[in-house]
Amino acid sequence: MTETVSAEGAARRRYDAIIVGGGWAGSVLAKRLGAQGWQVLVLEAGNGGTETWPGYLDSLSTFHSAVAKVPNAAYRPNKAAPSPNVLDLAPVRDPQAGEPEFTANGYFVQDGQLPYGTDYLRELGGAAMHWLGAVPRMLPDDFATRSTYSYGLDWPLTAEDLQPWYAEAEGELGVAGHAQEQKELGVVTDPAYEYPMHHIPQSYIDQYCDHRLGDAVIDDTVAQLPYALRTFGLPQARNSTPNPAYRAPYRIQGAVGLPNYGERCVGNASCVPICPVQAKSHPLRLQAAWPPSVTLATRCVVTRVRATSTGTVTGVEYRTYTDPASPVSRSYLAEADVVVLAAHAIENARLLLFSGLANTSGQVGRNLMDHPTLLNWALAPEAGGPVGPFRGPGHTSGWEVFRGGPGRRARAPFRIEIGNWGWGWATGAPMSNVATALGIGGDKDGNVRPDGVFGPELRRLLGSSIGRQLQLQIAVEQSADPGNRVTIDPARYRDAMGNPRPILTYNLDEHVRTGLFAARLVAQKIFQRLGATDYTDHAPHDGVPPLGHFVHTVDEQTLDLAYSGAGHGAGTHIMGTDPKSSVVNADQRTHDHPNLYAIGCGSMPSIGTSNPTLTMMALALRSAAQIHRDLAAARRPVTVRPAAEPANPEKEKVTA
Amino acid sequence: MTVPASAADDEPHDLPEGAPGPLATQLPDELTDFITHCVPLTGFAAFDLHATGTARLYLDTARRQVGEDRFAAFWTAWKRALAEGHGPEALTPTHREVARALIYLWYTGAWPRLAPAAHADLRRESANTEFVPAPSAYVEGLVWRTFHGHPAGAKPPGFGTWAVRPPDPPGVAELRDRLGLADVPYRTGLAGEVPPEDIPAHLLPGQRLSRAVPPSAVPTAAAAPEATGTPEAPVTPEAPAAPEAPATPEEGTS
Repeated sequence: MTETVSAEGAARRRYDAIIVGGGWAGSVLAKRLGAQGWQVLVLEAGNGGTETWPGYLDSLSTFHSAVAKVPNAAYRPNKAAPSPNVLDLAPVRDPQAGEPEFTANGYFVQDGQLPYGTDYLRELGGAAMHWLGAVPRMLPDDFATRSTYSYGLDWPLTAEDLQPWYAEAEGELGVAGHAQEQKELGVVTDPAYEYPMHHIPQSYIDQYCDHRLGDAVIDDTVAQLPYALRTFGLPQARNSTPNPAYRAPYRIQGAVGLPNYGERCVGNASCVPICPVQAKSHPLRLQAAWPPSVTLATRCVVTRVRATSTGTVTGVEYRTYTDPASPVSRSYLAEADVVVLAAHAIENARLLLFSGLANTSGQVGRNLMDHPTLLNWALAPEAGGPVGPFRGPGHTSGWEVFRGGPGRRARAPFRIEIGNWGWGWATGAPMSNVATALGIGGDKDGNVRPDGVFGPELRRLLGSSIGRQLQLQIAVEQSADPGNRVTIDPARYRDAMGNPRPILTYNLDEHVRTGLFAARLVAQKIFQRLGATDYTDHAPHDGVPPLGHFVHTVDEQTLDLAYSGAGHGAGTHIMGTDPKSSVVNADQRTHDHPNLYAIGCGSMPSIGTSNPTLTMMALALRSAAQIHRDLAAARRPVTVRPAAEPANPEKEKVTA
Repeated sequence: MTVPASAADDEPHDLPEGAPGPLATQLPDELTDFITHCVPLTGFAAFDLHATGTARLYLDTARRQVGEDRFAAFWTAWKRALAEGHGPEALTPTHREVARALIYLWYTGAWPRLAPAAHADLRRESANTEFVPAPSAYVEGLVWRTFHGHPAGAKPPGFGTWAVRPPDPPGVAELRDRLGLADVPYRTGLAGEVPPEDIPAHLLPGQRLSRAVPPSAVPTAAAAPEATGTPEAPVTPEAPAAPEAPATPEEGTS
């Protein structure tokens, strides 16, 4: 276990590398660099504590007592290092035509047409403390949508370049997956590849859908293409059974702070926001494996990155606090040869903007992305019996066929997740089922409702109305749009500690909206084939539009649609080969500063329809190798006389 | 400690699941009384209600939320309705809402947002918002058991259990028999028992307009779901035929 020091302790010496942020990317980078002997300082803005078992139980009980069980529900608010929360958004009653239909009241200032409905967590371990653990690889054509389908941006890397790094990342994350299926999907190209653990069993809901639909063909009338349905298991960073065919014996890691616990998923069905047994992988595991050369300081909010006039960065300024509710702080300075920002896409952009660095291209903060997610919900027929919702991991299978191929020209691609948690996300079930079946809360005028069921009739009704819930969560690709951006205005918007708050300007373009539209029609057809009653409803209710509401027309058909945020913030310091149009190169080093890296989902020029953590981890591991080479090169003995030796063989890798 | 002899001690095997049983005689009278009369409200056996360990918390919470006197009046009215062979339709609108809140507490572990009319009628001093009185209350929610589930984030059933088909829920008649409950309508404002294969939209939750809407304030589903293979013939809510007039003299509070 690594040493945790105070802010003052952290400032006492010089480091080889400073990493800003103790989430997935920062933790794996620190692990790699530390293992190579480099002195690394990790500065985490948020609280620690969950790395101990009592601290973790405190988070669990915070979740149990929360009325709104949102992704941040298990973690306490922190004014010194505030996190955005999905509860910060509210719809506007009877909105003016053309005006935003929402208000934002929290850490984010939002001035866009549509809400950015995504959160993250500033706490040791970062948003990975509440992630689902879904780790699908990106498709090969995701890396070149501009040249292949004429939208979005191309990567300076290919899927093939990332194959070894994906494999590395799957080892670090601890992934349970079905290698053969992923090979058939075309995302794993090594025929000998195996995942560290056997795949997580498909839920009964998955089997139910699979059995009734078989390989049914669904017409996507927007893309004007037929798609044959086939479910694929989801690769997940969740403990199952070690796979003996894996490249090396795999030892499962369970809970941090409690030995021999959480070594297999037991089906708590609460991966988001918290896995009570820690069978879901999180960065605290990597932190537990940090060597002594890695130093961690929590409650250290980095305010600025310092640079010399020649462009090299020298270190970071940061502030600490004692009481998260009323932060009073002083400033510290830590110095290092390399500075790595790994604080989340939006936080990285905020830091670069406030520091006035890396922005020759003018692209810092631009191209903000997420996976706008369309929720569809239906009741399976009573005759088919219960489907068993609210059990197991959030989703265990999906329909992948709408993710790639020429349909992407007509509409954004999408990935259909078969939800295992009933109508929870869409309607607040099963609690809201109890409320509406009882008839509690009053009618439109506030009077006590006459209709409702009680006792045995209530119990029977809920057994059926909850037990048959189906939900399809459809994550749609959002491509890079420079108009979707993070800015700051320090004169107007600062947090309690004096740091500028992110100002978000967000919208969905025509291509994405058409993708959501097509996804809705596909979901309707799937529910029809299942004989399920479709209760999906995104229309305004008594003049109040749902969050993320918009109206879209394709071929004279008009639909009310609404999307939710997926928590997949990306694209604020995109990578590319041209310093005029991108912020970092393929190694995630800033074009402007030779020893400043910005890593994480912010570097991605596109995110396809894959949950981005795995790709982010692959990129972080790739950067770790490059940073090691940077540090080693800087310490190579001075050559006294010119030698006829060849150039460093490791340097030959050209950044595409 | 003196344990009063009770008739139940002689023939425990003949008791229905819903009966308090001999153990109950060792508990404070008011808790036994509370649980006994919560059986017909919740549709769960006294055994299940005891086993939550939260009965005291719920009774205290309900008293605090409704007011000591008003809760006592509701409780008297409910017991009288049961004694006279009635169901919840015998309660006044405000008492009906209190009964619903109490059931919601048992089912979800949270005290709900009440109908504003009932909130005003009860002259409550606390805010009319949903809250969870204790973390353990969420964990003991009964709703999960209605569909053979478990609370999300507690009582995990084990690796791979999610791949297995859950059993069918028990029918109303079976539940009534098992719990020893009278054959009366456990519903208000509805013409007949709701057929599981045809649940009307007004008994289902609709879209949650934002994540900040608490579950007890989620609107009901839109009346006509989009066309699908399933025929649409909802049970129409009965006109206000249910007795709205006070059923007992103690109804001064409502």
